[in-house]
Amino acid sequence: MRSTAIDRRTFLTLAGSAAAAPRAFADADMGDGALFLGARLNDGRYEAAVIDEKARDILVLPLEARGHSFAIDAPRRRAVAFARSPGRFAVAFGMADSEPVAIAAADNRHFFGHGIFTPDGRLMLATENDYDAGRGVAGIYDATDRFRRIGEFATDGIGPHEVVLAGDGKTLCVANGGILTHPDYGRSKLNLATMRPSLTYIEIASGGVIDKAELAPELHQLSIRHMAVDGAGNVWFGCQYQGEAAEQPPLVGRHRRGREIELFLAPSETQRRMRNYVGSLAVDASGDVLATSSPHGGLVAFWDTATGKYLCQRELADGCGVAPFDRGSVLATSGRGAVVKAGPDIVSPLRTPGADKPSWDNHLRRL
Amino acid sequence: MPIRSILCAAVLLFAGAAAAQERRVPEGIGANVADGYARVSLEAFAGATARLHAGLEAVCAEPTREGLDDIRAAFADTVRAWGPVSVLRFGPLVAENHFERIFFWPDPRGVTLRQVQGVLAEKEPETANVEGLAGKSVALQGLPALEYVLFGTGSDAIGTGEEDFRCRYGAAIAGNAAARARELIEAWSPRAAFHDDFAHPGEGNALYRSPLEVAGEVVKALGTSLQFARDAELLPALGETPSKANGKRAPLWRSDLTFDLVGTQIQGMLALIDVAGFGEALDEERQAILDALRFDLEHTLGALEEIEAPAEAAFADEQDRGRIAYAATALQGANATVSERFSAAIGLTMGFNALDGD
Repeated sequence: MRSTAIDRRTFLTLAGSAAAAPRAFADADMGDGALFLGARLNDGRYEAAVIDEKARDILVLPLEARGHSFAIDAPRRRAVAFARSPGRFAVAFGMADSEPVAIAAADNRHFFGHGIFTPDGRLMLATENDYDAGRGVAGIYDATDRFRRIGEFATDGIGPHEVVLAGDGKTLCVANGGILTHPDYGRSKLNLATMRPSLTYIEIASGGVIDKAELAPELHQLSIRHMAVDGAGNVWFGCQYQGEAAEQPPLVGRHRRGREIELFLAPSETQRRMRNYVGSLAVDASGDVLATSSPHGGLVAFWDTATGKYLCQRELADGCGVAPFDRGSVLATSGRGAVVKAGPDIVSPLRTPGADKPSWDNHLRRL
Repeated sequence: MPIRSILCAAVLLFAGAAAAQERRVPEGIGANVADGYARVSLEAFAGATARLHAGLEAVCAEPTREGLDDIRAAFADTVRAWGPVSVLRFGPLVAENHFERIFFWPDPRGVTLRQVQGVLAEKEPETANVEGLAGKSVALQGLPALEYVLFGTGSDAIGTGEEDFRCRYGAAIAGNAAARARELIEAWSPRAAFHDDFAHPGEGNALYRSPLEVAGEVVKALGTSLQFARDAELLPALGETPSKANGKRAPLWRSDLTFDLVGTQIQGMLALIDVAGFGEALDEERQAILDALRFDLEHTLGALEEIEAPAEAAFADEQDRGRIAYAATALQGANATVSERFSAAIGLTMGFNALDGD
């Protein structure tokens, strides 16, 4: 059975790393400095890496295949690393203990690569594909019992990608990207003509959808994929447009429950360079500045979360990972190994790009 | 928050990495592809669909067994003409869902079969004319739907005149495809904005600002097509083991045109590589990468041509299964060559994070 085989391989990968990982844990600088977490390809091997605010490796966890994003349980200093879609493995690991836990996707489900912990640390929820039924679900895992899967609820959409916790700590906001895929057909998009992305708000206690926001019908091919929550509790999202390249619709939007979705355009040259693709979003530590990365165009754009106004952009070739750093800045990583502290008023390279450097994957998270 | 200027505080990042690169892309790549490949393959497709449409209308008016045979042969010609067109999955072919309207695939949940059977049962007149059909589900409009009409259960009755609605619905699909082919030719013609942008890349353009950006589009199209042929057309029917093989999961198995479809797509890719003129701008060492790519594509084609059983049975047949598996592996190799070595050879840096869909 596919899931069991992958499960075993994950354990073998982890067993093989046992010599390296605990040592890294033991040596970890457990001070209160900021830590960041990203997946990467390093010298031919896939791994999840925790780095400090000077971009030094603190912990490296081998992964059996390409990783994507993470569910973060900051108070308990632990996280779950997800495989890239259509992935069938996830790995939970902590900064404080040394035993990673492999999590296999349930039968007939695969991970989309994103998830969250509830604030109390009891549950972990992951976006998943119920691919035979062609519907998105959030898998529910008991984080107090070796991440046993205890259930799921529908996300009321197709292709749920990123999920974030709303400011109340009780509600999930899910970006249903709208694109139907089936692992038997690789990453082929099966419903471009009829896709219908949405944001859904789901009450964790009941699994019930309590709110749903959709784009105007003419923007039905604007796949809503990644999100970040600003200081005022608004959900910001970044899109990937599946229509014609010559159409360059807004790719960045804001939503607040009970209101309509608002979309924001960058100046035309920046908009063109974004190539209809936003890869990742982060809000700075103040909650006032949003960063959106566009790896195809090699830039990170900054936006004022109060007004939605575009502020400026920073060049970062193949840059995608962004995570809150401090007031007015994010930490950004690139597929060419660059690690940069960047914001409207600052650019400070911590690692320069290079052919021998690790290729950082799409997402960077702050632990 | 503080008021910020539109420009970020000026800081130059990694200036060394942005050093100018030697040009390894043919200057005229856009014009080469537009005039030497896109319009040529679209004209052939437009001709095939127009003949199919006219033939179907004639058979509907005067049904004969021979007429139906001719229509089925014209359908095969249409599929073979679609192969090279399908490789151009950007620009006009992506606009208005043209690709899906002409060839709705993959279809893991059998939407086409279910909807076409519904149409044949209900016989709603609107579905049997070109204008009415254009407003229906994309799955009802394309060649896979027409394949069921012409080759599926009950299709022989088209030749005896007992299935007048079915015949006219088929003619509407062919007419719809012919109309779309003409629209695509128009979009690729020198009069059109897209052609101008693609064939004459430059600083003021909306989309393509340099020959390298055009080359990037062509390389991406090649990679997409290689992945599609393997992941969406061959592997689902092949299954992980012989017991999981199921030819009915392949496109166009009813008409036994599965391997014609994939084969003409690969022929298209080979032609596209040549017409684009990639070879001209490369030194000997980089030419070798292009040769490796051609080698994989030609051997894929060879393996597909050797398949003996009809598509429905071939995926489970021991010998043919080996040929299909070989083709799938060669397609994967070709895709790796395109996205890694070939991209680098022409000076494109395909980013680690540039893959679509994450």
